[in-house]
Formats: sequence, C-alpha cells, structure tokens
Amino acid sequence: MIDTFSLALTHALMLIAAWRLFRRPDLDEDGAARTESRFVRRERPPRA
Amino acid sequence: MRDLALIGFLCALFGFGFKRPFLFVLAYVYIDIVSPQRLCYYLLNSVPISLIAFLFAIGGWMAMDDKRDTRVAPRQVLLIMLLLWAGYTTYHADFPVEALGKWSWVWKALVFAIFLPLTLRTKLRFEALLLFMILCAASIIIVGGIKTAASGGGYGALNLMVDNNSGLYEGSIISTVAIAIIPIILWLMQHGTIFPPDWRVRLFGAALIFACVLIPVGTQARTGLICAGLLSLLMLRIVKKKVRYAVLLGLAGLVAVPLLPSSYTSRMQTIKGYQADESASTRLAVWKWTWEYVKEHPLGGGFEAYRQNKLRYHLVKTNAAGNVQSTETTAEYDAGRAFHSSYFEMLGEQGFPGLAMWLLLHFSGLLRMEIIRRRYRKAEGNDAWITPLATALQHAHMLYLVGGAFVGIAFQPFVYLLVGVQIGFDTYLKRRQREAAWRPLTERPTPQIQHA
Repeated sequence: MIDTFSLALTHALMLIAAWRLFRRPDLDEDGAARTESRFVRRERPPRA
Repeated sequence: MRDLALIGFLCALFGFGFKRPFLFVLAYVYIDIVSPQRLCYYLLNSVPISLIAFLFAIGGWMAMDDKRDTRVAPRQVLLIMLLLWAGYTTYHADFPVEALGKWSWVWKALVFAIFLPLTLRTKLRFEALLLFMILCAASIIIVGGIKTAASGGGYGALNLMVDNNSGLYEGSIISTVAIAIIPIILWLMQHGTIFPPDWRVRLFGAALIFACVLIPVGTQARTGLICAGLLSLLMLRIVKKKVRYAVLLGLAGLVAVPLLPSSYTSRMQTIKGYQADESASTRLAVWKWTWEYVKEHPLGGGFEAYRQNKLRYHLVKTNAAGNVQSTETTAEYDAGRAFHSSYFEMLGEQGFPGLAMWLLLHFSGLLRMEIIRRRYRKAEGNDAWITPLATALQHAHMLYLVGGAFVGIAFQPFVYLLVGVQIGFDTYLKRRQREAAWRPLTERPTPQIQHA
C-alpha cells in the first residue's frame, strides 16, 4: 500500500514533468520563447 | 498491475525522447536510481533496459543534439583517468572474479558522468535532471519516511521495497543520500520552473524533506545523524535570519528527541562509546589493515580487495554493579570485513594513485562551486539562480564526502550524477561568459553576464 502510494505519486510527478519538458523549447535552446507552453502564464495584452 | 504501469511509464519517457533526446538521458537516470526492473515480477526483468537507455541517451545526443561549442572540462579528463586506472586495477585484482562484478557497474557510472556534462547545455536541463534525480530518490525516501513514522524502523529492518540491499536501497547509503539531497530540494522549491513555486510545491517539498530527515531514524544508520548535524550547520551559511533559525532548530531538537524510538537513541549513543561497539571497532581494525596493506601494495588490490583481511581487535566493555565499575577487554576475530569508508575503499582498492585522483575530483568540485558561488553572489534577475545552485551542489557534495567517511560509497552512481551536474554547470557558465564577452559592446547593457 505505502509502496504503491510512493511509486504512484513520484511517477505521476515525473510524467507531468516529462510532458512539460517535452513542450518547452528552452529545453534545447536557452532563452527560446516559452510561449508554446500552456503552463506559462501569458501576459495580458494592454486594454485599448 | 505495477509491472504494466512501470512499463507504460518507461514507454512514455522513451516516446518523448524521440522528439527531445534529452529525455533519454532522464530515462537512463530514472532506471539507474529506481531500478524498475527490480520492482517488477516479470517482463522488465528479462530486458536489459539500463543498457538500452544508455545507448539511446548517447545515440540521441550524437544524432540529434546540438554539439556546437562542446567543451571537455579538466574534471572529465580526471574521470577518464580514474576509469582507466580502475580498469587497470581490475585487470590485476587480487580477486579477479569478484572485482569484475563491481567493475560491471562502476564503469557505467563513470562513463555516464563523463558523458552527462556534454548534454547539459541549457538551464532547463539542469533543473530537469536535478528534478528527476530528486523524484527518483523520493520514490524510495517516501516509502522509508512513512514506514518510519508508522513503525519506527530499525537497523536493517526498514523494508524499502527491494530486499537485495543494492544501489540506493541500502540503509546507510540512502541515509547519506537522503540528507545530501535536502539542499537541492530547497533549491528546486525556490527556483524551479517545471513546477514553479506555489503552495503545492512547498507542501510536497516540505513533506519530502521531513521524509528525508526520517530516513536516518528509520534505518538507524549513525552516518545519517552525522550528516544531519553537518547539514544543520551548513544551513547557517544560507539562511538570512540566523538567530531565528538557530532557535527554531533548537526547539525542533527538543521536540524531536523524546519522540525518537529508544532503539534509535541507544544506537546513536554507541558513537560516543565506540570501543564497546563491534561495528565501530571492526571499522577501525579494517582501516588499520588497509593502511598496512597499501604500504606493501601501493597500487591497491583492485575491487573487493577487502575480502582478504583477517582482523583481530579488542572490545572494551564497562560493567556497572552498584557503585563499582569494572572494564572487561575481550579479543575478537573477524575476516573479510568491508571497508566501511569511501576513503579507505579507494585506498585499499585503487591504491595511492586512485585515492589521489578521487580526492582531486571531489575536492576540486567543492572548490569550483565555491568560486561560482562568490562570482555570482550579487547576480540578479536571470542569473539569481546561479549562486543558490552552486551552494546546493556544494553542500550536497560536502554531505556525501562526510557521510562517505563511514560508508563505502566511493563509486555510488547517484553521486557521480551529481558530479556530472557540477561539471556541466561549470562548463555552461564558462560558455555563457565567453558568449557575453564576444558580444559587441553596444549590445551589452550592463557589465554583468546576461542571459544568452
């Protein structure tokens, strides 16, 4: 029970991390735009 | 069910790797630390997944990764020399068959540590690698933490999912590593971008650190207590409100001591009365034997050379009967005892040349991190993560080097991942420094190094 809980929690976190890394261009190139990722908050455009 | 889930997880990681080859590196790190093949009952046992991930990581880097400005650091050369030297001593080992057994995993750890810095080209890759290392170690530490909280654990009695005491699943090793990774967990909690700091990250991080602290209690490894003591001192270097930290630490100690299991406190007291303790006495006897051995064999005896030792040592027991105390000295005999110290392990197995290379590798790492810490101390904005990471890596390394004095973990693969990260971090900063220096003056808004 405890073993399963620990494995499930850590593996789920690693899977989320891998998915987020997969979508981030700055994994391969420093400073590359991160706007592709939906996990990054985009700045709102200024109101007209 | 567990088997299928682990296979699914690995397939997902490998799948991502075909688009982003760095994920193959993370897959290898995962397999190296967690050893999913040992957690499975069937399927994964029969496939050499570690080797497959190793080949994919190197192949992915060679075929798909950007190799512009690839640098080889002096410590990578030192690792190559250490690898060649270990190969030589294995060839001439006193116990050729047993030595080959240890060589079979040592070479992989060293080759990967040489290779790893080549792949660490972006800040996100450092973070990703450290995050994976922590989460992989966490899969063992959370189990140990909960079981300790529930039952109190016991020396050699804490069940960490795998029975065979290898890798990080061994009690003394996991105690040292659990404490050594705390500075890195703290760094990820503050500077992480994969899981940006929020209440969930803080909650998980705090719970994980608590589990890390419980591991030495659960495994009852004395090394862990020594490491925890050093960590509490090292934290004084980074906390801003030092007096408040010292008071809180004292209070935490006062609350924790009565809650510790009595078997733990009695075992920890043997640090003081080591002469009456068999484990500590044999250690001293093994170290003495090693010293005598290398005086005759200065090039070491190859891996597993300890198997030939025959020890005679004295146990001093103090008996108290009323007001009268009497001491009793008994002679004990033992043979084939392990080194129980990374320093003596290097000395006995790899001789003076091996020990010198190993010491240079690790202590120059501490020094390099100190230089980076100081150089970027006042950096802000995009560079604010650099000094805290250098400090975290340095502290983790110091804890390993202190814990390693009492446990034979000179070639522990987890530590060589840390060494690889340190080397990659160092070359990454040098590359950025050079890029900044090449930029035309008009493009440089401030003399401070800018994010490329």
